[in-house]
Amino acid sequence: MASVSIRNVRKSYGTVEIIKGVSIDIQDGEFVILVGPSGCGKSTLLRMIAGLEEISGGTVAIDDRVVNDVPPKDRDIAMVFQNYALYPHMTIAENMSFALRLKNTAKSEIAAKVERAAGILGLGPLLGRFPRQLSGGQRQRVAMGRAIVRDPKVFLFDEPLSNLDAKLRVQMRTEIKEMHQRLKTTTVYVTHDQIEAMTMADKIVVMHDGIIEQIGAPLDLYDNPANMFVAGFIGSPAMNFIPGSIGGDGFTTDGGDRLPLTGRVSAASDGRPAVYGVRPEHFRLADEGMAAEVVVVEPTGSETQMVLRPLGSKAGQVGAGREDRKRELTWVLRERTGAKPGEVVRIAPDPALAHLFNPDTGLRL
Amino acid sequence: MSRPLRKLLDKAGMAVCVLLLVSPALLFFIWMLSLSLKFEIDNGAYPPILIPDRFAWKNYTTIFEGNSFLLYFWNSLIVTGAATLFALVVGVPAGYGIARMRAHKSAVVIMIARMTPGLSFLIPLFLLFQWLGLLGTLWPQIIIHLVVTVPIVIWIMIGYFETTPMELEEAAMVDGATRWQIFAKVALPIAKPGIVVAFILSVIFSWNNFVFGIVLASRETRTLPVAVYNMLSFEQVSWGPLAAAALVVTLPVLILTVAAQRQIVAGLTAGAVKGG
Repeated sequence: MASVSIRNVRKSYGTVEIIKGVSIDIQDGEFVILVGPSGCGKSTLLRMIAGLEEISGGTVAIDDRVVNDVPPKDRDIAMVFQNYALYPHMTIAENMSFALRLKNTAKSEIAAKVERAAGILGLGPLLGRFPRQLSGGQRQRVAMGRAIVRDPKVFLFDEPLSNLDAKLRVQMRTEIKEMHQRLKTTTVYVTHDQIEAMTMADKIVVMHDGIIEQIGAPLDLYDNPANMFVAGFIGSPAMNFIPGSIGGDGFTTDGGDRLPLTGRVSAASDGRPAVYGVRPEHFRLADEGMAAEVVVVEPTGSETQMVLRPLGSKAGQVGAGREDRKRELTWVLRERTGAKPGEVVRIAPDPALAHLFNPDTGLRL
Repeated sequence: MSRPLRKLLDKAGMAVCVLLLVSPALLFFIWMLSLSLKFEIDNGAYPPILIPDRFAWKNYTTIFEGNSFLLYFWNSLIVTGAATLFALVVGVPAGYGIARMRAHKSAVVIMIARMTPGLSFLIPLFLLFQWLGLLGTLWPQIIIHLVVTVPIVIWIMIGYFETTPMELEEAAMVDGATRWQIFAKVALPIAKPGIVVAFILSVIFSWNNFVFGIVLASRETRTLPVAVYNMLSFEQVSWGPLAAAALVVTLPVLILTVAAQRQIVAGLTAGAVKGG
């Protein structure tokens, strides 16, 4: 177990900078998830921690020891790859014990460790088989077993669940979290799936275009996003962004609707353009609210998602064009509803849970 | 047209096409077999006879009698065996290095060595071997067969190593393996089907090579193709023994290919990566 300290790390290929100065502190035993859209540099950063990618600038330290020039084999880390990367010519037991055999560990010790890991992951009956004889989920478990057997300082996961089907993904999510609670090994986990990030992490690092947008606990990011990118990325369905301006004691949308604000933000200057951010579950029915036409109703059983088109005083009433689609809002209700497409509902956001963003910088006001 | 009939016609069409494509090689073999089992009188007969009334097994026994055939067989075995072994020892790591370092230029250089006509460097090499006192041994032929075998092995192995997933080696790297251990314990076992293919092609090309042998071999160091050629040159063309000798020369390569076919087809990498 160990801490990992990433200081001002950069990565460039030629003149193209992929990672533009990133600093993260990972405590001993912490489960940290790097999340972001594809191409944001999260996998590259993980590979730099692993030593599979050279570091162009800054330092990576494991347990206060700078490892920039330490080869992967001497970093005492274990990595789980997206496509499992199991050695096809070795049995499951051989796959799991490969690292120990390289270190000339005693046979009895290897057997004990493999058995323990197999026990944790329920791989016992499969130890004599070859990877090609296993299903996707089993292979993924073997890849994790290979990491556990090592008893490394740090676990690295590179999108380990992306190749699994939806149901298995949820199950493995729980298993990985359980495994971490049991072993308490420092873990860095890369995913593009914000649900994985929200459900598993102690700490989430949201990355975008090679920089860190925000670091924080899952619910902290959800409740207090630092900017529009984080606000839009964390949470599903995504937060609604309504452009408009601050004026008087409230917010006026570009469509002409009035939305309420709490005292703390309405002190901002009058007429200033802003973006009103409200999560889909933070709308409620209100007689004095904005009028919107129901476009689509999507019941999931536990909740209902609705896509609405605000009518507004200035909004185009006839022929919904592309412009109007951008103005569509998502509303998530716990209750079931009899609303039909074409009906008009009146909804209002909960001002205490709404956010205001600067439309130019994207930062929260 | 009914469905079963259509299916049947499709199959028949396919069979005809396959037969047409394979027939040159197949008929050639059948005729060779026929020649080797006929007496000279039948071999020259018109219209040609495919299956004779009497089989001339004598053709096969004669090649093993007067011609030191076993010595030439042994020579061929040593030359091909040594040239292929050296080629694998050198070519497999070389192919790995070129594939991993993406050194495609050096691969092209090796290809050029292969494309140069053998005769252009045979004479200088002959003089060199003479000066080294190696003529009369099998060494000149072993060395010069490397010109054939090494490029084949390297080129096949480049292709093979390039398709093995990089993640496997990265996983080994993280697991604590050194460069050499990664090669020996991960890359090499996975490349086994590739090595088998390289081995077989190397053996075939070396075994059948004629030009190098005819220039460099003396009476005692002849390889099989040269020995077969020499059967032609005495007093008359005796088709029967010639065809029998040719078949015997081809047989080891044929058996090898058939035996190792399963190895070639077996996708050992299945299961390494998703869908792999």
